[in-house]
Amino acid sequence: MIVKTLLAAIVAGLIAGVFMTAAQELRVTPLILHAEEFEGGEPAAEPAAAGHEEHSSLNAVSPLGKLLAFVSPITPAYAHEHEHEEEGGILFGMSRFSGTLLANLVTGAGFSLLLAGISLTIGHRITLANGALWGACGWLAVHMLPALGLPPELPGFPAADLGERQTWWALTVLLSAAGLYLLALRGELVAKVAGLVLIAAPHAYGAPQPLDISSNVPAVLGAEFAVAALATTLAFWIVLGVVSGFINDRVVKAG
Amino acid sequence: MATSNVSSVSLSLSDRLVAGILALMIGGFLVFGAGLANSAVLHDTAHDTRHSYGFPCH
Repeated sequence: MIVKTLLAAIVAGLIAGVFMTAAQELRVTPLILHAEEFEGGEPAAEPAAAGHEEHSSLNAVSPLGKLLAFVSPITPAYAHEHEHEEEGGILFGMSRFSGTLLANLVTGAGFSLLLAGISLTIGHRITLANGALWGACGWLAVHMLPALGLPPELPGFPAADLGERQTWWALTVLLSAAGLYLLALRGELVAKVAGLVLIAAPHAYGAPQPLDISSNVPAVLGAEFAVAALATTLAFWIVLGVVSGFINDRVVKAG
Repeated sequence: MATSNVSSVSLSLSDRLVAGILALMIGGFLVFGAGLANSAVLHDTAHDTRHSYGFPCH
């Protein structure tokens, strides 16, 4: 029974992951590729300046760098990895698309298991009727609320230290999820106030911000990308919630 | 917990908690691996996914 419950969550996540890949190919990936053209114009930077290396727009673009970028089969997004990591490349030598598909499947199954895990531990089932709400709460906690401090960024955007951002992001997701639970599923007034405080706390503290916000990537692309990323993830979460609910209603219940 | 005759809640309380915690652990591991892990191979494979999910990466 435990295995069946977990399998149901994984299947829902895989379905949502396939859906997400289609949505990304339509709306998000073109913007990433577009931004990489600008990012690719930047010269190889100092690996010592961790966190800021590929984000300075002050350095002149060397013609040699342009020529190399033009000749090289490696896309800029992958190329800049090699500045601070000696190994890179896509797992199993897959194409970029299949890598993205694989990552979406894994991420989808992961988020689906997390959602199911929360549902099981707090004892509120995900059903077809409330699946969209579950999904919307997942999106709020994992994407919308953290995005208030750290908007989805394109390759080549300026950003603060990676460790600080990941810590802030992970803590914000956890606090937002706990806050949403208190706000949505607890009746007491105290719990609702505590939920709001939990949700607001990371924003009152403030997300780590880059010192230098200049970038080669046009701001319009960034704006389009942020909206596209939030819209596709909202669709992903709603599909995930509804499919999870459907599977729970039909399959797990029947067993 | 309002329902009693449907299965994922008809799991006993301890089974439900075991399943829930297992799901949280596996799910957290998968999301961490695809989204946050600081490995170049994982990063490059998941590059577009990481960006479009808004994971903080590079």
